Amino acid sequence: MKYFAVVNGKNRELELTERLGELSIKVDGVEHQAHYEEVDGLGQVALYIDGKAYAISIEGSKNELAVTIAGHVYDVEIEDERERIASAVEKRRGKGGAIKSVMPGVVVGLLVAEGDEVAEDQPLLILEAMKMQNEILAPAAGSVKGIHIEEGQAVPGGELLVTLEFAGTED
Amino acid sequence: MAPVKPIRRLLVANRGEIALRVMRSAREMGIEVVAVYSDPDRRALHSRLAEVAVSLDGATPAETYLDMDKILAAAKATGADAIHPGYGFLSENATFAEKVAEAGIVWVGPPASAISAMGDKIESRRRMKAAGVPLVPGGVDAIDDPAQAVREAEGIGYPIALKAAAGGGGKGIRVVREPADIERAFKAASDEAVKAFGDGRVYLERYLDEPRHVEIQVMFDTHGNGVHLGERECSVQRRHQKLLEEAPSSAIDPAMREAMGQAALDAAKAVHYVGAGTVEFLVSGSEFFFLEMNTRLQVEHPVTEMITGRDLVREQLAVAGGEKLSFAQDDIEFDGHAIEVRLNAEDPLKGFLPSTGTVRNVRWPSGPGVRVDSGVYRGMEVGLNYDPMLAKIIVWAPDRERAIERMRRALGELNIGGVKTSAPAAMIVLENEKFRAGAYDTHLVEEIDFAASGGGQETAAAIAATLHRYYEARKRSLVLQADRGRGWLARGRAKNVTPGWSAQGGPKV
Repeated sequence: MKYFAVVNGKNRELELTERLGELSIKVDGVEHQAHYEEVDGLGQVALYIDGKAYAISIEGSKNELAVTIAGHVYDVEIEDERERIASAVEKRRGKGGAIKSVMPGVVVGLLVAEGDEVAEDQPLLILEAMKMQNEILAPAAGSVKGIHIEEGQAVPGGELLVTLEFAGTED
Repeated sequence: MAPVKPIRRLLVANRGEIALRVMRSAREMGIEVVAVYSDPDRRALHSRLAEVAVSLDGATPAETYLDMDKILAAAKATGADAIHPGYGFLSENATFAEKVAEAGIVWVGPPASAISAMGDKIESRRRMKAAGVPLVPGGVDAIDDPAQAVREAEGIGYPIALKAAAGGGGKGIRVVREPADIERAFKAASDEAVKAFGDGRVYLERYLDEPRHVEIQVMFDTHGNGVHLGERECSVQRRHQKLLEEAPSSAIDPAMREAMGQAALDAAKAVHYVGAGTVEFLVSGSEFFFLEMNTRLQVEHPVTEMITGRDLVREQLAVAGGEKLSFAQDDIEFDGHAIEVRLNAEDPLKGFLPSTGTVRNVRWPSGPGVRVDSGVYRGMEVGLNYDPMLAKIIVWAPDRERAIERMRRALGELNIGGVKTSAPAAMIVLENEKFRAGAYDTHLVEEIDFAASGGGQETAAAIAATLHRYYEARKRSLVLQADRGRGWLARGRAKNVTPGWSAQGGPKV
């Protein structure tokens, strides 16, 4: 299985092969010996790569992970082959656009309603964090398919706020 | 002169790491501790570790840790004979200090009059000037024309900043290094001020090149004794929020330390100070200027404790009980170097945006010379209601270079999961050349691009993420398989369907 990772903005292509119970991992074509063992089920992991030890921790969701190695944090966006194809298809078909909060805050203004047509960069709602008001903009033209929050609601970072259906381009 | 009446039961009117810090010294002195807590802090460490804990019945700071009447009622109900405010919340509230004293309870802090004198910018500048404490030279009166500016500048000294009287946000400021440039700068600053504020009045102030923020710790008793405990270097800050502190400062030599220490003592004496306090200075070259006085225990007090070997909270509690300071100026010696790193709940890779969540995973550093002052526990919910400062890592070593390496080692051991912290930003600062050379000022942090400065382990991170995904997917498919069968079969089945599951119990790659 191939994986596509963006680590702190840098691209890495990985290939994981399982043969007779043995895993081998290639990073940008270079093969590595790796051993991965969860320590406590809470995010701490013993990782050994080519004989080197890494006392790391990992947290996050399926596609967005934060890996801590020796005091430095690496934000990793990762997709496997199938997801990459699916997300490319979705983009082409103009299916589903999930607008999430990039930071925790309070929704102080809701500027659209379900069914509204929106233009690219049109403000959808206002999120207040640390006494600053931030407009959350539509990334592309489309229509509002779902609203998942209410005015006055406090939301954590990464919370689904609004679902858009993009106008998309025809195949 | 108050008679000696040791504190027996202390209410700590705070939460988080500072509540625990105060509690620890109190317990070592045989003082019983009363904690107060808000609803979200019902499970907090400070509530659990006290002798008595009183609910403040509410969630927001205003309903709880800032509610003077509730805290006073808690003190009376539990028979507390003293209140320690920690830092933040009510610590610099003169009205509260007064109310505590009126209730016949000992206030572990300076008198209300000292708090209000130092809390007022104009009043404190007036008092400092009278006490001979150096202030940033300049005038608050507007100047009329360039010729007057040149005359006034003579008395202030170059470089000079021309500032808009109605100013703010850096608008209408011009820096002038010699008299010949004043005329042009005066016009430019005045024009810009008219445009920005509709008010063209301009005044002069000395401009400080490469300013450093250095503060002096002082300690006074009620018997008229006062001692300074040297400086703390606080120039590593972002928007006036300190990221890490160290002592001693590489900008200060013994003679300057002596002069600044004396100025800090003069400043405190001018307001009849009692207890622990901090006098902040701006330092430029060999000059220093009074900025303000913090009339409380500071977040970064541990670095002073580490290099002087003194317990500042213990001293605060003893002095509040009427005892004399346990040391004189000559007893204070400075040994080695200490650094403190603050762990704020924020994401340095995303422009230091606040981070919230539930702490899942905690691994603290330990070993020689490492101290952890923390209110963090597994299961702790970090929200937006309270100060984002969760914990502090402090290290001591014989010299600065070794302290830096020790802190890097300690931060390498640290793990906090579930919420992002500023620790990786501190790591990047500790690896910054200017910081390592000790040649930095208050602009250091804004010069660093934290998102672009990693530890160079992108390949290992990519491998970790990939293997994490692989095993997560495998776990999910195992659960599905197990659900289909009977419970007692699940384990055997997992072994059978998982190639490479090693005898030691771990997946083998």
